[in-house]
Amino acid sequence: MKVPFSGWRWLAAPALALAASTALAAPAALLNLPDFDALAAKATETVNISLDTSLLSLAASFLDSSNPDDAATKELITGLKGIYVRSYTFGQDFAYPAAQVDQVRRQLAPPAWQRLVEVSSTKDHTHVQIYVSADRGVANGLAIIASEPREFTIVNIVGSIDLAKLHRLEGKFGIPKLDLPDGKDGRQQGR
Amino acid sequence: MSEDQNLERRLRSALGAVDPGEDFAPRVLARIAAEPAYAAPPARTGALVSWLAFGFAASVVLAVLLAHEWQVRRLEQGREARRQLIEALRVTDEKLSLAYRVVNSREGTAPPEHSGA
Amino acid sequence: MSGDEECTGGDLLTRALAGERAAFGALVRAHQRLVFSLALRMLADRHAAEDLAQEVFLQLYRNLSAVSSEAHLAFWLRKVTMHRAIDRLRRAPALERSTPRAALEEAAAVASEMQPGDPLLERRLRSLVTELPPAARAVVLLRFQEDLDPVEIARTLRMPLNTVKSHLRRSLAQLRERMTETADVLI
Repeated sequence: MKVPFSGWRWLAAPALALAASTALAAPAALLNLPDFDALAAKATETVNISLDTSLLSLAASFLDSSNPDDAATKELITGLKGIYVRSYTFGQDFAYPAAQVDQVRRQLAPPAWQRLVEVSSTKDHTHVQIYVSADRGVANGLAIIASEPREFTIVNIVGSIDLAKLHRLEGKFGIPKLDLPDGKDGRQQGR
Repeated sequence: MSEDQNLERRLRSALGAVDPGEDFAPRVLARIAAEPAYAAPPARTGALVSWLAFGFAASVVLAVLLAHEWQVRRLEQGREARRQLIEALRVTDEKLSLAYRVVNSREGTAPPEHSGA
Repeated sequence: MSGDEECTGGDLLTRALAGERAAFGALVRAHQRLVFSLALRMLADRHAAEDLAQEVFLQLYRNLSAVSSEAHLAFWLRKVTMHRAIDRLRRAPALERSTPRAALEEAAAVASEMQPGDPLLERRLRSLVTELPPAARAVVLLRFQEDLDPVEIARTLRMPLNTVKSHLRRSLAQLRERMTETADVLI
């Protein structure tokens, strides 16, 4: 069954429901990401970003509020305390060891983290997991682990982020709208 | 030759590479040179002045340069932070979109319960 | 040819990484056709294409350490150029795209002058390519201008392979149909 696309409700609603049911202890939404230097040396492309609260604040001060795209980005990151990305692309399939990825997965365990989505495509050999962390019923962290044949990516967001607002920025900063349904009202492309 | 092969041959011929001209590379280098972060350090002057005046002038110049250097560095740090922020958001949305695509593809399935954390 | 162009791409990359501005200039000259052509075919505007091409090389200058080899450099340039071009097209006003009526009038103008194998026919084909949606246009350019296979296109655009193949199939069908319209106008 196709999942309606509009407003990222396919993801945001379950995230909120999950957060509401989570236990009370304050979890650490910041992951301890391993040193991936050995992998970076083998990768053809590396994205290594670590933006803590002060760097996010610095970045926000360089967003132009009179520019609609910058203003939207500024609003999006208002609740963020950190965003960390490790993404590596390789010249061969599955050149990255599963052990290092598993080291991160082991941190994403209950009660601190709840798995929100886990999907696999056997055809494209793609595996994506999305986790949410919550404190007293409020989502305060997001983690994404995506494994593709020649790329693996870990994203750790600390703080609250509106996924619907994030997706509205698609196409603004080099995110190509390549494959999603036309329009934002959930209409599916005819195939 | 089939119709498809003919069209493909014509496309290859029609879409040949176009050169932007001989002055393109110099314009790129000029833009790099114009960026504050990549500007060459100021040339030293060889004016002859008394040592006292020279020392005073040098300290003033140094203070101005340090302030400018700090500003340039701050500007570069801020731009870099902004660039990294946008890149991080781009990657995040890309992977969320990937999950969405997999969910809605014919081949997309939830993996066995024992996998994942 | 200057001494710089005689050096291998790998040598230039190493020297550019070491901060040698002249070597970076040689890298620009070596790859400017690739970047500019892709930008021009995507944006269909020479000034915009040159502006975008300059930005791509500026970005390369800032991120040179992320490039590991000559082959990776070509991949990196194609990827960044296409993503930036698609981003610009998403933000460009819809008026830039020709209306069906305007397209037919242009077809008539071209058809009245063209002969088989005529450069005008190729000009018409280039014009039709610029009318494809951005993603499909990107796929067609990487296939027929850059001669990449579908797997390489999928990597460059971070697009599933089946989507690349689908874009190619539908775009060729659309181009074939539009070229037939042109011939019909001639008749």
